[in-house]
Amino acid sequence: MSRKSAIGAIFGVFFLVMGARPILAAPLTIGYSDWPGWVAWQVAIDKGWFKDAGVDVNFQWFDYSASMDAFGAGKIDANLMTNGDTLATGAGGGKGIMIMLTDYSNGNDIIVGKPGLNSVKDLKGKKVGIEVGVVEHLLLVHALKEAGMSEKDVSLVNAKTNETPQVLSSSQVDAVGAWQPIAGQAMKGLPGSRPLYTSAKAPGLIYDVLAVSPASLSARKDDYIKIVKVWDRVVHYINDPKTQPDAVKIMSKRVGLTPEEFLPLLKGTHLLDVAAGKMVFKKGDGLDSLYGSTKNADDFNVANAVYKEAQKVDSYIDPSLTAAVK
Amino acid sequence: MRNWFQVLKPISPRAKLVLGSMSFVLPIIIWCVISYVPFVWHPQVLITDPGSADYLQPGMRMNKRAFANAVNEAEDDHKDPPKGVASNPIYLPAPHEVALSLYTAFITPPATQDGPWLHQSLWHSIQVIFWGFVISSILGVPIGILCGTYAGFARLNEPFIEFFRYLPAPAFGALAVAILGIYDGPKITIIVIGTFFQQVLIIANTTRKLDVALVEAALTLGTRKLKLLSRVVIPGILPDLYRDQRILLGWAWTYLIVAELIGTSTGITWFITQQARYQHFATVYAAIMIIGIIGLGTDMMLALLGKRLFPWDRTLDKSA
Repeated sequence: MSRKSAIGAIFGVFFLVMGARPILAAPLTIGYSDWPGWVAWQVAIDKGWFKDAGVDVNFQWFDYSASMDAFGAGKIDANLMTNGDTLATGAGGGKGIMIMLTDYSNGNDIIVGKPGLNSVKDLKGKKVGIEVGVVEHLLLVHALKEAGMSEKDVSLVNAKTNETPQVLSSSQVDAVGAWQPIAGQAMKGLPGSRPLYTSAKAPGLIYDVLAVSPASLSARKDDYIKIVKVWDRVVHYINDPKTQPDAVKIMSKRVGLTPEEFLPLLKGTHLLDVAAGKMVFKKGDGLDSLYGSTKNADDFNVANAVYKEAQKVDSYIDPSLTAAVK
Repeated sequence: MRNWFQVLKPISPRAKLVLGSMSFVLPIIIWCVISYVPFVWHPQVLITDPGSADYLQPGMRMNKRAFANAVNEAEDDHKDPPKGVASNPIYLPAPHEVALSLYTAFITPPATQDGPWLHQSLWHSIQVIFWGFVISSILGVPIGILCGTYAGFARLNEPFIEFFRYLPAPAFGALAVAILGIYDGPKITIIVIGTFFQQVLIIANTTRKLDVALVEAALTLGTRKLKLLSRVVIPGILPDLYRDQRILLGWAWTYLIVAELIGTSTGITWFITQQARYQHFATVYAAIMIIGIIGLGTDMMLALLGKRLFPWDRTLDKSA
């Protein structure tokens, strides 16, 4: 055995052991972060619905990008992320299978224009502050396309999404792209600025999903089906006007807001129950299908060098678990 | 007053106390003046009544000039002008707001049923720092002393350590997660990486400053190598080593915020980043202050302990 293959073998065994560990451990470790459609799981956690369903889960709260690092490294069984980011993580080697949808952004992602700008068309020749390669960039490209323009008609200024409020009020750019609550802070910081385009006009551009590592999925498929069932219960609890206040109380507490502050953020998120999820899992080229939306995200990721080679979109999607829930 | 500026002369205990408190009181006075005296800075206007301007809402902040324009426009049209009070940007809360947040942060129950209270989060952070520093010291102190004592050992280690100390510790975050998992392991690792390499170099330098006469005298008296280390070198540098460790502990604290962003969100960092995301800056400053108070408190305690441990060390008197 040459030295190279010996090192390879050692690493191979090392990764096998490391990779196998989460599967053998009893609770399924799932990463979640600060997005209304994911904070929603807190309702099920606090109410003990996973125990009712007979599945042992261990939800761990992360910073969003840290959650992708952990999932990419195989340290958690499943993670809540966007369909585009699932591809990006997978292209880096941490493959995830999208087994269910939690929601799509329905107004929570916003292109904000400074006072005087009224539509996407007004952006021609203007400077737009945006975090290149992330979802707001995708939204901007989509908005420009709809208005008959392309990325070449604006000049992009790369800015961290968290800092877009300061960037916009410094008047060094004419518009910024951000998600809530940052977009709201940007508008509050520069009175008269207004949304030029929001994700409500492009439903399905960004889907939020539960992505599961392939090994964990094949070993614990029944448990994941139970998790999908719990999700259905969560969505109905949140959408039912009678129980909504209680749900919002639980969710707002998780992120350190008052229920009044949290409610608008929830409204900008369209939660998908299992029945709605089944529709999105149908094959199609449009944004109303997870396949079409993910293909669109794949093209965007390749165009912006998030990764080099186009991903096989179908291999990232497994509709059978959602379909199995009656 | 005159003797404050005498070179290398100690000042009287009374002056020490006064100056020491002034070093805190002065910045707080400056902060109060900026916050409470409207004409000092206050570049923005906090809207209290939007008047006829439909794009304004109470609670918004806008620049003074834009506000003046809005008032002029409304007056030209003979409509209600918007009203507001001069204010600082949202990023600079006033002292009383921070003090209030400090209090509320401790009495607010945890976000989730099994979630931690603020003091539990703090305790968690302190443990991460403690273990990071202990592990770094177990390795760094002996290696540093050996490097300082033996030129050959130093040559073997120091070039690489010099190189490695420039590598940003946070960049190893994802790797640390891949190896050590998502809980405290990677966080402690980042603190070790951030502290260890500086520690070796600083302690090696301290060791080199040991009076050569001491070593020569010991050798003349026939001291063997190991005994030279344990009876001459280490006791000789101990007070300085202790002071280095105090400085390095502060160094470890500065890595806490990046370390805790790795893996699951825990500790005081989770608290700070979450509050910053929703622009609750008063609470953010309160949390930063807690870290400062803990850091300074620990250091003062260690300084007092140092005086007890090394009564012969005169540099300690001067600094403390």
